[in-house]
Amino acid sequence: MLKVEAITASYNDVPVLDRVSMTAHERRITAVIGSSGSGKSTLLRVIMGFIKPSSGRVLIEGEDICSASEAEVARIRAKMGLVFQESALFDSLTVEENVAFFPIYHQKRRWRQVRPEVNALLAELGLGDIGGKYPGELSGGMRRRVALARTLIYHPRVLLYDEPTTGLDPTNIATVDDIIKEMNERFEVTSVVVTHDLESVLHVADWVYLLDEGHSVEVGPPKHLLTSDHPRVVRFTASWRKHIDAFRKLPHTPISGVAGSKDDK
Amino acid sequence: MELPHGLGFTSLQAALILALKLMRYAMIALEFVGDMVIYFARTIWYFLTGKLNYFLTSRQMSALGVNSIPLAMLVMGFVGATVSYLLAEELGKRGASAYVGGILLLALLRELIPLLTGVVLAGKAGAAITSEIGSMRITSQIDALRALSTDPHWFLTAPRVFALLVMSPVVGVFAGFAGFLAGYYMAFHKIGLSYAAYTANIAYPFVKLSDFRGCLVKLLIFGAVVAIVGCFMGYQVKRGAEDVGRAVTNSVVLSIVLIFGLDLLLLPVLF
Repeated sequence: MLKVEAITASYNDVPVLDRVSMTAHERRITAVIGSSGSGKSTLLRVIMGFIKPSSGRVLIEGEDICSASEAEVARIRAKMGLVFQESALFDSLTVEENVAFFPIYHQKRRWRQVRPEVNALLAELGLGDIGGKYPGELSGGMRRRVALARTLIYHPRVLLYDEPTTGLDPTNIATVDDIIKEMNERFEVTSVVVTHDLESVLHVADWVYLLDEGHSVEVGPPKHLLTSDHPRVVRFTASWRKHIDAFRKLPHTPISGVAGSKDDK
Repeated sequence: MELPHGLGFTSLQAALILALKLMRYAMIALEFVGDMVIYFARTIWYFLTGKLNYFLTSRQMSALGVNSIPLAMLVMGFVGATVSYLLAEELGKRGASAYVGGILLLALLRELIPLLTGVVLAGKAGAAITSEIGSMRITSQIDALRALSTDPHWFLTAPRVFALLVMSPVVGVFAGFAGFLAGYYMAFHKIGLSYAAYTANIAYPFVKLSDFRGCLVKLLIFGAVVAIVGCFMGYQVKRGAEDVGRAVTNSVVLSIVLIFGLDLLLLPVLF
């Protein structure tokens, strides 16, 4: 379980988080939503121990990463996996080498032991034939999946996703969402998805928090995004609610001659 | 200094402000030097504790060192030929053409090989290090290393610093041969100097063992400087391609300035 308790933090001397609290329950997918600049990425950096908060605690399975020594931080961090917004794959390494990074360089395992695991994981994620390619040769969706494989290879207990669907087309967004759900179930991890993609949140999340101007609001189950009357939630979801209302009011009658309509069949 | 509305600085206040500014610059410079020393100390620590990754280091030895050899040979070839031309002309007039080889080798060992190898490494290897690490910074790859419980200094800095430390003398040897042979070629064409005459007066009265040792020490120091400055500048990149470009320029300029400055400081110590 991941617990964030009253975190106050700054980034480049600018106050970003103000007594932010949240809990990500075991084997559940918790979404943290918020507009750009609301402090979502800073929260992830605090959780990973990249930034020391000025106050508060981050408990990963009961251990506080904020007050841990450098060696302890590395140990606690190994329980977590972070899938970066732009994948952050190592350009100079092939896909196989990227995925094998943690076992080879951290666990000091041999390549011939690791390689079958790497290839099996790549195949599971639908990336069976790209092991020898470099990240620059891959599409955005493929890079996200490789980044996920690089994290899943060491079986983290907590999996953090930083804007996993940003910049992807609708097909790839659906694929990534499905993978997040599937991996959460198969690897029995606690997942935290930081995003501003509300449709993804509806699809994948079990519980939702909103970050707004450095403050956290517990929204609850995703459907509360549509019904909550908390002023910050209403403000963040206003235009999305309007779109959904407008979509509901659309006459859903088949149009003759349009591909996919009943008349074409 | 008188300001409007009756506000003004006394000369004491102005001196105080100047002193504070100078102190601030001194602090920045000290912090900078301190960071460099820490980088170097970490590299040595990884080496001494057997934690240096030799696979990564050998990759960097090839990428940074071996790939710099052709350019260093080319540059040193031009310089060797130019100096030989000037020496052959002047010494030939005075009937001392047999000293061309000895004087050229002395110049190569004491100054030209370490300095120009350092400059070539700064322009090629140092720039490559800064741009690679800088690009990794802005694409979150450094954070990804930390997320994977890997110390970026272990993975990036130490192999590069150690690789250049080892490879700078190797590059220097190749460059030196190129300069010396180009010098012979020029002396042969300019005044018809034979190879035997060109090499006859090298050992005595010109070149001593201490010249080779001094050359090696300088190459080691300049190689380390280029790598440390390159890594350090790469880590300073905060955002965007423009920042990477600026860091690369600063890296090359600072390396070259430090190489020339250290060359002067090392002169009384080594020779």
